[in-house]
Amino acid sequence: MELFKPEFGLAFWMFIAFLCLFGILAKWAWPFIIKSMEERADLIDKGVAYAQEAQSKLDNAKAEADKLIAEARNEQADILREAAKMRNELIEKARGEAAEEAKKVSQAAQVSLEQARKEAEKQLRTEVGDLALQIAEKVIRKNIASDDAQRALVDKYLSEVETKN
Amino acid sequence: MKKAITAIIAVVIIALMALGYADAAAHRSHSGGAETEVDPQEIIFEHLGDAYGWEVPFNHSQRIPLPVIVRAQDGSWHAFLSSRLADGAQYDGFQIAEGGDYNNKVVQILPDGSQYRPIDLSITKNVAGIFIAALLVLLMVFKVRNWYKKNGLKAPRRFTAALELVVDFVYTDTIRPIMGKEAPKYGPYLLTAFFFILTMNLLGLIVIFPGGANLTGNLAVTAVLALLTFLVTNLTGTKHYWKEMLWPEVPTALKCPVPLMQVIEIFGIFTKPIALMIRLFANMMGGHMVVIVFMLLIFIFGSMFGTAVGGAMTPLSVALSLFMLLLDTLVSFIQAYVFTILSTMFISMAHVHAHHE
Repeated sequence: MELFKPEFGLAFWMFIAFLCLFGILAKWAWPFIIKSMEERADLIDKGVAYAQEAQSKLDNAKAEADKLIAEARNEQADILREAAKMRNELIEKARGEAAEEAKKVSQAAQVSLEQARKEAEKQLRTEVGDLALQIAEKVIRKNIASDDAQRALVDKYLSEVETKN
Repeated sequence: MKKAITAIIAVVIIALMALGYADAAAHRSHSGGAETEVDPQEIIFEHLGDAYGWEVPFNHSQRIPLPVIVRAQDGSWHAFLSSRLADGAQYDGFQIAEGGDYNNKVVQILPDGSQYRPIDLSITKNVAGIFIAALLVLLMVFKVRNWYKKNGLKAPRRFTAALELVVDFVYTDTIRPIMGKEAPKYGPYLLTAFFFILTMNLLGLIVIFPGGANLTGNLAVTAVLALLTFLVTNLTGTKHYWKEMLWPEVPTALKCPVPLMQVIEIFGIFTKPIALMIRLFANMMGGHMVVIVFMLLIFIFGSMFGTAVGGAMTPLSVALSLFMLLLDTLVSFIQAYVFTILSTMFISMAHVHAHHE
């Protein structure tokens, strides 16, 4: 039963072969392979995490973009409303100013009109006085007998004055 | 149509197998004259045992010569090719013994005619097989390493990927969960053991030249592997491990006057590697033996009931052998894995630092 008797030579070479194999692999191969495999596992894990993050970021970005657009729309509406308000105000203001100016102009016109009227009245008065004096002078000068004749005369002069005016 | 072709081919192969046997049997009975009895035991042990040359397929006399290295009784070393000892020839006072205590081993014939078994470091078939396996492991592992060297962290393809998958399975899924932080330190030993055993197992299943040596089915080979695990386990064991062994935390009655626990524990140190050794050896040898026995059934039936029965037996024998070989392929992997996982557990059990329950 040779099979059950371990042969020294075989064990010896097996030992040598295993130690050589182990020495070479343990020095140059296994640590490097293990390290590389672990690094790659890490890399893949990181890649997955990164992808997930990117996906969630992308989802967020969409929401954010929507929010931004909504905000922009609101702002736009605000700006438009503001502009309309401002325009109205401007128009209102311009209108008010114009009215004021018109009022001032008309007031000034009235004042000057009044003045002109007063001046005219004053002039009229002096002229009327002058005329009255002239008429009285003429009346006195003529010595007209009848009151009627005198009255007619006065009327005549008065109308003369009026036409003159 | 395809099925029909397959069936026809199968029938032709089976017919050829049966006819081939019948022809060989007839041929032998013509030339040899007397029917020689088949000795299954001899055939089995010849196939499972070691040899000084390597058989060539379809040839019973020619062998690939391998170096014989022996130390003679006077202390001198002799090295020559095994072809010089072929067919019982004597060379330099050495001969391959036939029968006796040293059956099929190189012996020195002393002047007084007695046989002396020299220290034999010959590169026998099994030793050459070990070297071939080691070389294959080296090539395979360096293939993976070179891939990483060249391609950085890109995923490997084809054969390299398959190898890497196995490395990953053994290291990441087995060694690391058991050993934890110590995995990188003992990983190289365990991975080397795994790949070496796996390669030897599978090479043993290939029947022609690069394979065919029954390596892991040989007690010397498995003994060395078990011894290495034994050494790693006990030489790196922590103080706590030895304390558990020599003064375990059990009731004093169990350990003080009669060192019962100590005896059991120390016995356990040796039974573990011995179990490793026997398990691998028995599984692999058993597998090979069954395959050969199935093939031998042809000849046993042939000699018992005549050539026709032997011929009829051929397809069944081949089918059964094929099935066993496929099963052995699975067993090759399982046994390599079992050896590795048990070694991992033994080593990690020797690295207890504190009592954790």
